[in-house]
Amino acid sequence: MNPKVCILIIEDDKSICSFITAALTGNGYRATSAHTGKEGLNLAASICPDVILLDLGLPDIDGCEVLSRLRRWCSTPIIIISARTREQDKVTALDLGADDYITKPFGTEELMARIRTSLRHSHRTVPHKIYKAGSLEINFEKRMTYVDGEEIHLTQIEYQLLSLLAENSGRVLTYKFIMKTIWGPYVDGNNQILRVNMANIRHKIETNPAQPQYVFTEIGLGYRMRENENA
Amino acid sequence: MLTRRLNSLPVYKQHIFSLLFSLSCIAAAIIISSACYRIIRENPMIVSLIFTFFLILASCNSVGCFYGIMYSLLSVIWFHFIHDHAIMNLTPTLFDIFITFMCMSAIAVLVNNLTSHLLRQCDLIAESERRLTDAEKEKMRADLFRAISHDLRTPLTGILGNSTAFLENQECLGEEEKRIIVTNIYEDSNWLINMAENLLTMTRIKDDNLSISTRDESVEEVVAEALQKVKKRHPECMIHTQVPGKFLMLPMDAVLIEQVAINLLENALFQSKSTAPVDFIVEDADSEVIFTVRDYGIGIPNDKLNCLFDGIYYANIGAADANKGMGIGLAICKTIITAHHGRLTGTNHAQGAEFTFTLPKTKDKLFAL
Repeated sequence: MNPKVCILIIEDDKSICSFITAALTGNGYRATSAHTGKEGLNLAASICPDVILLDLGLPDIDGCEVLSRLRRWCSTPIIIISARTREQDKVTALDLGADDYITKPFGTEELMARIRTSLRHSHRTVPHKIYKAGSLEINFEKRMTYVDGEEIHLTQIEYQLLSLLAENSGRVLTYKFIMKTIWGPYVDGNNQILRVNMANIRHKIETNPAQPQYVFTEIGLGYRMRENENA
Repeated sequence: MLTRRLNSLPVYKQHIFSLLFSLSCIAAAIIISSACYRIIRENPMIVSLIFTFFLILASCNSVGCFYGIMYSLLSVIWFHFIHDHAIMNLTPTLFDIFITFMCMSAIAVLVNNLTSHLLRQCDLIAESERRLTDAEKEKMRADLFRAISHDLRTPLTGILGNSTAFLENQECLGEEEKRIIVTNIYEDSNWLINMAENLLTMTRIKDDNLSISTRDESVEEVVAEALQKVKKRHPECMIHTQVPGKFLMLPMDAVLIEQVAINLLENALFQSKSTAPVDFIVEDADSEVIFTVRDYGIGIPNDKLNCLFDGIYYANIGAADANKGMGIGLAICKTIITAHHGRLTGTNHAQGAEFTFTLPKTKDKLFAL
């Protein structure tokens, strides 16, 4: 693991901050913590971290405000740490440009996995030509999908959806984002068409649609595709 | 009943309605009785019966006995001064008229009194029923609080005890003992987190009339996410699932239904005292979707079947129960399903326990978003 990877934690709760710091240090990262939004913004500008962990409930500035201020000038991966409230808060944060979110309470293992995913995404310069996870394979050049080596027939929309998720594998894509990307900016708020298409995709690629292996639902938020093993 | 709706109107409207209704009653009585008298048979008996019928109808549906008496007066006038002379060739005396009027008024007053008496009784019954449900709700709330405090105290005592033991005896504890203590703390806090999740879901239900905001959600996705969370928490568990191939959308609060599925699955996994795989079956029926969680273990004790969802079942077993039980989980499931206008039942089958909940397909307008 790269010892130079630097992570900034913006979180007001001292106990949570200390346990994250301990876990990060233990995993070979360099962790810096800020307890207020202002301090966080200053530190982000001065130390240029590789990943930022941001708590939404900060004492001085609202977490979403910090997020949008950070996004004005930097593209560092930002992972939201949120206490479980309404789904709407998470959707807002994701639509504001957060890369991922993790809900309190969380285990260190989960947090490390999310950080690794974000790092991989930020370091990737050339887009992948092939997505592979388990027995699912998507060839972006040939626009072909295979399960267990057998070609799966997908409709145009289904392929676009699946490849969008695969290109962003490991990350949550909100309903709004997917709808806008696939059906254009003037699509209405009703996402039933998306649900139906996703159901069709699941029936085509999953062995048991009720226990999916590749595309996971995040209730009230959107979808997340299994990490690309080809990365 | 017409009178019940009448009572909810402003007073002047009540009187206008009563007046109009009595007048139309008398008009109907005159028309029908004349028709009967002329067409069917020349029998004065029919005429008086028809008048009495409409008199009762008018008194039933008017406020106070004034309109009934007015009806009597008008009908007597018509009966004796216009109708009788022209058709029946009778010559009633003033005494006859007086007696007829008095009889009709008596009927009017009696009927009116009876109606209002009935209405008052209906109101009283509704009131006492409402008080009963209020008391029941109050009892439910008290039971829930008792169950919550019990369920919170047990793991908290564990955490406090273990951490105190660790801090006080740090020097003389061996590595293995330390590990056990910390593992206990870890397990207790996991259990508390589970509990907090359950309690948080309850805040999504407004407790005044159990209303929730529903959205059309795909059944498959909710089931999949619930299974995924259970698998993440208990990687060793085995669950067989079966969902209909048809794409199903149901109006629901997905987070709540997910919590119900998780609670029932964890209940099946840990209360059955068996490692046999649990079945989770979703079936599509005409007007509802049926979800069944079936385990193959010891089943539900017969004496607990009736109070499964009271939230006190496990609390009664007491702190001796090492597995901590479902706590208030089942009671919360019941509340959530009730708020969705579905049904939740727990029964025993030949080889274990079975919990079934249903969700209706049509959106109930009252509780729509």
